Amino acid sequence: MMKLSVAPQDAWQPLPPGDWNADAARHLLRRSGWTARPADVERAVSEGLSATIDRLFPASPTLFPEPAMVANFAEAAPAYVQRIRTAPPEDRRLLQREQRERAQATLTNMTVRWMQFASQAENSAIEKWVLFLSDIYVVSFEKVYNPPLIFKHFDILARHALGPAPELTKAVSRSPAMMIYLDLNQNQKKAPNENFARELFELFLLGEGNYTEADIKQAARAFTGYRTRPAFGDVILVDNQHDDGEKTVFGETGNYNGDDVIDAAYRQPAAGAFLPHEMVKFYLSDTMLPRDYLYGLGSAWSSEGEYSLRWLARRFFASRIFFAPEFRGEFIKSPVQFYLGLLQDLSLDVAPVPRFIVGPLRQMGQILYQPPNVRGWVGGRNWINSATLAARRTMTESAFTAIDEDALNADEQVEIVAARLNGADRFTVSDQSLRSFAGMTPEAAVSHFTSILLAKPPMPAFTAALSDFIAQGPAEPAQRMHRLRRAIATLLEAPEYQLC
Amino acid sequence: MAKNTPSPFLPSTRREFFQLGGKGIGLLAFSRFAPAFLVNSTLAAAPAPEKDRSILVIVQLAGGNDGLNTLVPFEDADYYRLRPTLGIPKDKVLALSDTLGLHPSCAALQGLVHDGKLAIVQNVGYPNPNRSHFRSTEIWETGSDSNEFVDTGWIGRYMDNACAGSPADDAHDPLAVHINTLNGVPESFASSQEHPTYGMLAYGGGRKDSEETRKLLEKVADDAPKDDDGPSSYLRHTLMDALVTEKKVQSVLAAYKPSATYAGNAFATSLRNVAGLIASGLPTRVYFVTLNGFDTHVNQITQQANLLTQLSEGLAAFQKDLEAHGLADQVATMTFSEFGRRPSENESHGTDHGTAAPLFVMGSRVKGGLHGTAPSLHIEHNQDITYTTDFRSVYATMLDTWLGSPSERILAGKFNDLPLFAAPSVPAASS
Repeated sequence: MMKLSVAPQDAWQPLPPGDWNADAARHLLRRSGWTARPADVERAVSEGLSATIDRLFPASPTLFPEPAMVANFAEAAPAYVQRIRTAPPEDRRLLQREQRERAQATLTNMTVRWMQFASQAENSAIEKWVLFLSDIYVVSFEKVYNPPLIFKHFDILARHALGPAPELTKAVSRSPAMMIYLDLNQNQKKAPNENFARELFELFLLGEGNYTEADIKQAARAFTGYRTRPAFGDVILVDNQHDDGEKTVFGETGNYNGDDVIDAAYRQPAAGAFLPHEMVKFYLSDTMLPRDYLYGLGSAWSSEGEYSLRWLARRFFASRIFFAPEFRGEFIKSPVQFYLGLLQDLSLDVAPVPRFIVGPLRQMGQILYQPPNVRGWVGGRNWINSATLAARRTMTESAFTAIDEDALNADEQVEIVAARLNGADRFTVSDQSLRSFAGMTPEAAVSHFTSILLAKPPMPAFTAALSDFIAQGPAEPAQRMHRLRRAIATLLEAPEYQLC
Repeated sequence: MAKNTPSPFLPSTRREFFQLGGKGIGLLAFSRFAPAFLVNSTLAAAPAPEKDRSILVIVQLAGGNDGLNTLVPFEDADYYRLRPTLGIPKDKVLALSDTLGLHPSCAALQGLVHDGKLAIVQNVGYPNPNRSHFRSTEIWETGSDSNEFVDTGWIGRYMDNACAGSPADDAHDPLAVHINTLNGVPESFASSQEHPTYGMLAYGGGRKDSEETRKLLEKVADDAPKDDDGPSSYLRHTLMDALVTEKKVQSVLAAYKPSATYAGNAFATSLRNVAGLIASGLPTRVYFVTLNGFDTHVNQITQQANLLTQLSEGLAAFQKDLEAHGLADQVATMTFSEFGRRPSENESHGTDHGTAAPLFVMGSRVKGGLHGTAPSLHIEHNQDITYTTDFRSVYATMLDTWLGSPSERILAGKFNDLPLFAAPSVPAASS
């Protein structure tokens, strides 16, 4: 058990203004977003903690716009489904395969668009928050196989991201992707399917041990009759499939529908502490805070905060425990954070070539929209093993290797050209961008990069090894530039850079 | 013995350990050259992992494989009562006995049973079953009771008990390897002491980073503080181990020539890689491979058929490959899944989370055929079956009989061994 420097009764008090400084700002920016660029740190320090959090988690955030390819897929879906249905059996298989391939390509495109959107510093915190919510309200493309529904699910999460939590949960219960993923769409009066009700209690709202098998069976009855047509993405409640008998959930009896069950779950004491528990795991530490800390925040959130997600985010990210020294620089970055943080740290743009994005994310262990299972990504040390570390290093190396544009296929070239026209044309680290550092002493250059790239000051031997490497060898500028580049790449591949 | 082994222990790797400043590298790293008495005294009573020892391959069927449609009781009217649409017709079942047979996708497994190389342990589970994927997987991987929470895995405790201080433990050659797992290192490997383990994706994959960066990286990674167990230390250890092992594994797999045809899917490719690593003579005692997707709530028929085909053909190719390389006597493979599924099918042509299920144990030294007893299906609609063999009896057998490490300390209790092996492992578990 980690020794905590803040007592439970003080943990969620705001950070004293005197403790707000550049180090604290870096911690906030790295944990709430992807990294801490020097200019953003400067701005945060001058604006103050409270104003910075307000800016990172605005009352009405900019939403990730629906990619054109997703909209096209949605528009064409009903006709395709009809075509497949009416095709002669021998053609059906081929049409189905085409539709699956189209779905895969559309999802890939959505991944690229989202990475571009989330890489913008002004969207980073809110998109990370949506990713956090999606790691609770998990759906997977592997089962849903419908990009517009996946988009819609994330859109629901984003629209409710900072509103009342019960509204979010209710909206999720009407998310077609969720209804398919957890078989709510199959849940009928004469044969309730328990999948959604179980995960609602276990993984979305309360956690294991805070409900009974009987609660699940009864709750499943309340969620009967929810139906969606995947090709249309609409949701209706089918009366004759809905069980309108009495149900007893958490010891309360009534003629409950799904929304009533969600409200009843939020009345359980475990509901307040559940999301704080998930936030600690996602944003703060591998080591879980003791129960009294979680319930301290949980009971304040349910009473004072009235289950507002924005209240919770503001309280969490401004708290003394969030800034406690024992947590600084001790958290392993997720692959998405590693990827986008690396680009932001190197002032690079997302190269909109699908295989440059989807491949590395897969190798690093995080395929967007396809978490390994309904629990989502476990995170922390689970991100790191020899295979995923190797993938992080490969990713870093590709940021230092110019793209061979002649080797791109036509679609990829079109994407690159389109990005250039939008002014996003720095895909890999150029010598040009490092020129000012090549003139510095090796010690000064290394000190600059360790201070902006690492969450904690490294050991002296670490910096010495890097500056020795730069210093030793021919003084000829091209050679020296090469060594500077290798030193920065090594810094990014070192264990220290995997932490934030 | 391993015919196409490309120089299994690359001397360059050994030299590198010296260059790394001698961290944790003593004489024992070179146990093959160290005086026998010195090695033996260090190993005490525990059999050391080294080449020619018995090897266990664990295959996780993630999601909860439907046991009833894997090993089908085709003479049981209750089976067809509970499975009006999912029940597999008697004439499609691949019979193993008068009453039981395999899913039609398991032809290759049926062949292995006939050859006496595949044991099927029926109705394996545990008391007070939990139906959460995660909790039940945790119970299986930690080998705990359903009401107890344990933070080490059964393989992790095996390594703690049998492998600490062994030559391989010092040399960073992995004691346990996982391939294609869902969430990185399987919980089964969680241990109290630190042991070298290695993970890779199914398709392996080379990297293009330069020698230069690797050397510099080795230098900077070795300079971090060594005395805590925080994430930084964890990262550094993982990286250092990975740098050494990766170089070795990649050269081994690139040179490996399988003697069986593996399908192109991730599962078969993972098994091909396991065979390659075993053939190279690595001292690894346990391999862990995952085949995912068994959570068949909806439209089970095609999904399970596809997965069982992958399983059946993958395992058969693996066994054939090991035999061709003269390694089959050394290897036993077992499957597990977090739970079976409910006997009553649901209304979505699928099945919901259930309890006990059969598991497979494959190997040349296995006593093939059916073990244990079939579950009684004389149950109500939506009722679950009751296990008859505790999963820890299977573990105990693997530990006592196969790996040669007393199971009582590892499983915190005595579970009866099963007669799963016709002959003990090679060499006999001497102490």
